[in-house]
Amino acid sequence: MATEPSPQFLNSIRLKYVKLGYQYLVNHILTFLLIPIIITILVELARVGPEEIISLFRFLNELDLIYVISSMLLVIISATFYLMCKPRPVFLVDYACFRPLPNFRVPFSTFVEHSRLVPQFDEKTVRFQIRILERSGLGEETCVPPANHYIPPTCSMATARDEAELVIFSAIDELLNKTGMKPKNIDMLIVNCSLFSPTPSLSTMVINKYKLRSNVINFNLSGMGCSAGLISIDLARNLLQAHGNSYALVVSTEIITPNYYLGKERAMILPNCLFRMGAAAILLSNCRREGSRAKYRLSHVVRTHKGADDAAYNCVFQEQDSEGNVGIKLSKDLMAIAGEALKSNITTMGPLVLPSCEQLLFLFSLIARKVFKSKRKPYIPDFKSAFEHFCIHAGGRAVIDELQNNLQLSDEHVEASRMTLHRFGNTSSSSLWYELNYIEAKGRMKKGNRVWMIGFGSGFKCNSAVWKCLRTVKTPVDGPWSSSIHRYPVEIPDVVKLL
Amino acid sequence: MELLLQTLTTLLLLYSLYLIWKFYSYKLSTKCYLIDYVCFKPSSDRQITTLTSGAIIDRNKSLGLPEYKFLLKMIIRSGIGEETYSPRNIIEGREESPTFDDAMLEMDEFFNASVDDLFAKTKIAPSDVDVLVVNISAFSPTPSLTSRIVRRHKMRDDIKTYNISGMGCSASLIAVDLVKNIFKSRKKTIAMVVSSESMVPNWYCGTDQSMMLSNVLFRSGGSVMLLTNDPAMQNKAKMTLRCLVRTNIGSQDDSYNCVMQKEDDAGIVGFYLGKGLPKAAVRAFTENLKHLAPKILPYRELITYIYRLARYRANKLKGIKNFVKPKLNFKSGVDHFCLHAGGAAVIDAVATGLGLSKYDTEPARMTLHRWGNTSASSLWYVLGYMEAKRRINKGDTVFMISFGAGFECNSVLWEANKDLTDCDVWEDCINKYPIQDVVNPYIEKYGWVNDESEETISDSLEAFKKNVGVIS
Repeated sequence: MATEPSPQFLNSIRLKYVKLGYQYLVNHILTFLLIPIIITILVELARVGPEEIISLFRFLNELDLIYVISSMLLVIISATFYLMCKPRPVFLVDYACFRPLPNFRVPFSTFVEHSRLVPQFDEKTVRFQIRILERSGLGEETCVPPANHYIPPTCSMATARDEAELVIFSAIDELLNKTGMKPKNIDMLIVNCSLFSPTPSLSTMVINKYKLRSNVINFNLSGMGCSAGLISIDLARNLLQAHGNSYALVVSTEIITPNYYLGKERAMILPNCLFRMGAAAILLSNCRREGSRAKYRLSHVVRTHKGADDAAYNCVFQEQDSEGNVGIKLSKDLMAIAGEALKSNITTMGPLVLPSCEQLLFLFSLIARKVFKSKRKPYIPDFKSAFEHFCIHAGGRAVIDELQNNLQLSDEHVEASRMTLHRFGNTSSSSLWYELNYIEAKGRMKKGNRVWMIGFGSGFKCNSAVWKCLRTVKTPVDGPWSSSIHRYPVEIPDVVKLL
Repeated sequence: MELLLQTLTTLLLLYSLYLIWKFYSYKLSTKCYLIDYVCFKPSSDRQITTLTSGAIIDRNKSLGLPEYKFLLKMIIRSGIGEETYSPRNIIEGREESPTFDDAMLEMDEFFNASVDDLFAKTKIAPSDVDVLVVNISAFSPTPSLTSRIVRRHKMRDDIKTYNISGMGCSASLIAVDLVKNIFKSRKKTIAMVVSSESMVPNWYCGTDQSMMLSNVLFRSGGSVMLLTNDPAMQNKAKMTLRCLVRTNIGSQDDSYNCVMQKEDDAGIVGFYLGKGLPKAAVRAFTENLKHLAPKILPYRELITYIYRLARYRANKLKGIKNFVKPKLNFKSGVDHFCLHAGGAAVIDAVATGLGLSKYDTEPARMTLHRWGNTSASSLWYVLGYMEAKRRINKGDTVFMISFGAGFECNSVLWEANKDLTDCDVWEDCINKYPIQDVVNPYIEKYGWVNDESEETISDSLEAFKKNVGVIS
């Protein structure tokens, strides 16, 4: 059911299109000026007979060699300068996700039993957690780190580091194997982990383990929420555009060991039930030779930050409860804020990705309403015509439902997100990569397909990235879904009765 | 025909000129200008002295005499003066049970003062900021501190924010590196870098001596910088970035392990500073200079150095021993040196490595005395001292170097666009400096810390405690 868009939303879209038209005109003004000249030349040529053309050739032959060479040189130099100014393409060579072992599984029965045994939780809190789990859309194979299997969970710096080493190194090892990349050839490294940032940073931990070069450009982003993966991709893109012939390694993860909430506040219990272990390592490059083996090319990244609005800022908030336990509080209007952030994001994304037919249709509808005062409903651009696949951050069932509604997507479009939530839980910034792997494992990724990745995070941020597939991905795909893809998709009931 | 040919040629020429202009403007937009910066001066009720530091140490009941002695020795020898600042909860006696709100308050006091100051000073509106980078190493809540600043100043929704964490005392220059890289792909961008350190959640309550240093050496401070790559702002800007070199030797295990946040044997979290730290620093420093020297020194100096090095090596092979190993003279390419005020030992070590005089290290030593070790933002206090002393003139080059966990050594060379005369936070005290002798005023009175005799120590300790007001 499509909801009526607000007038503000339409206004902002209108302005964007006017700006777009103006940008097109100004950017290609030289082309527009050249067109009449080319037409004149063609007309002239048409008028002039073949003899004149032959005499022209003879005339050109008589020209001084130096004249010809200098003009050719001028053309070559200008072409070189032009090519140097062009932004370099960013290729996704390959990526790898952490494959949790079955012994880290936390099926429903384990979750219920452990909740009851943890001394800090009272009966009310346990019931609440079970209710959330029943409606969460998670399956029985999601995994938590070893420290959280203890009763009560043994959260310390050392165990948090162990989890970080386990997930990150496992993902990077797989990636280096897949791509045949030597660690010393990595030029840039970006690690994002929101809730755990020790000293020395996780990026230095990776440098230490893989013996990367001393001049590797490394950044460690922290506290930026579940959309931090796309922030890292954006930063990697900026770095790759600033340096030639480089490889960037991006590691997205969330370390959940130190963040298990041991209090009674309901709004802060939710992350315990949804967050699960996961990590992804992505290799990006701007080398033109990688174009032949790369899987995807990055087309656009759009970042939207709604922090200026107080409600948006406060909707995902880490704080201490009255007993001194630290946890992340999720506010009730999270979905509404996510919808708003998404609208802002697609207002910027729309003009960049929608095909001309959609944009023209929108323009016509705009003209019809403005000039001819037509009473018809405003035309909402159909994003399904711009993308073949959608990777929506598997933040929770409600998030996926909200987005499906807003973007008018079919069940098949959001299948990757729902199944990832079911199989792996909410792995925060790395969830997008598990979803991408699902689409590949199902054999749906063909050359030329475009993928839209949408991530949401605290702040409140909505970030999205558009990838274009460069080669058809053949099944079977070796990845985290290898052992379970044949069982999917599954029917996920609204409520799984646990009590 | 002739006319057509001429028209075509003219058009081609114009188009190639246009492309060359585009290339030139692209090159220009990759320059990084420092518009201005401010340092944070906490309110005077947050000042601590050696005496009050002693009182704070004494509150930790698990400390024995050796630890007490060690800490007091560290404070007295540190080169830190009597006017440095500490977070509120430590002064109020709640250092062992910090709350989330205390940590946020520490950050808010800094943001609310300094970010507002910088916007007012430069007359740039918050909605003009395109990129925001915050580096606070030891505290990273959700939502990030960048979002906190975006919310307070109602910044635009297409702002690019980056929250860097865990990267240690050299994170300020890492943030500048991030901005510099973004400038290469975006034109006419304004970036804000907010640099500080969080002390509240990181107070160490245990007894491991190698983890207690962070308690006594670090002080509150912070700095905010505005940078741009817009050539139109070149005249307004204070400095232009000439080159930046980052070195991370974390691939070596002993360098990686020398600064580590971990639990001690009793399970209490703290920052372990290992004995291998000075060696790791030297290695990182040498590696950094290797890459930096060719970029900042004039050719004459480099050629002379290569010639002298070749001669030295040849003589060594021959067996002649009385030749001194040649050293690069960094003063040939650099006019002013901003050294990270990490501690007296760090400053001396870097000074020896670069061949600097007392005049060159004066800004760093005086910053350490007045503000203590404010971690990543200390470089900006040092720069502020040089400005207040009217040392920097147009065309002068300023070299900044800092060290961080990992082990990282980052350095930057700036060139001043105009004479720098802003006193900023040094305004009220610059006339007292330079202090010739930064020796702690209590070193004679409490020289018992160096005493080996057990009897005299307990008596002197009683007297000290009485003086401080810990016992009646």
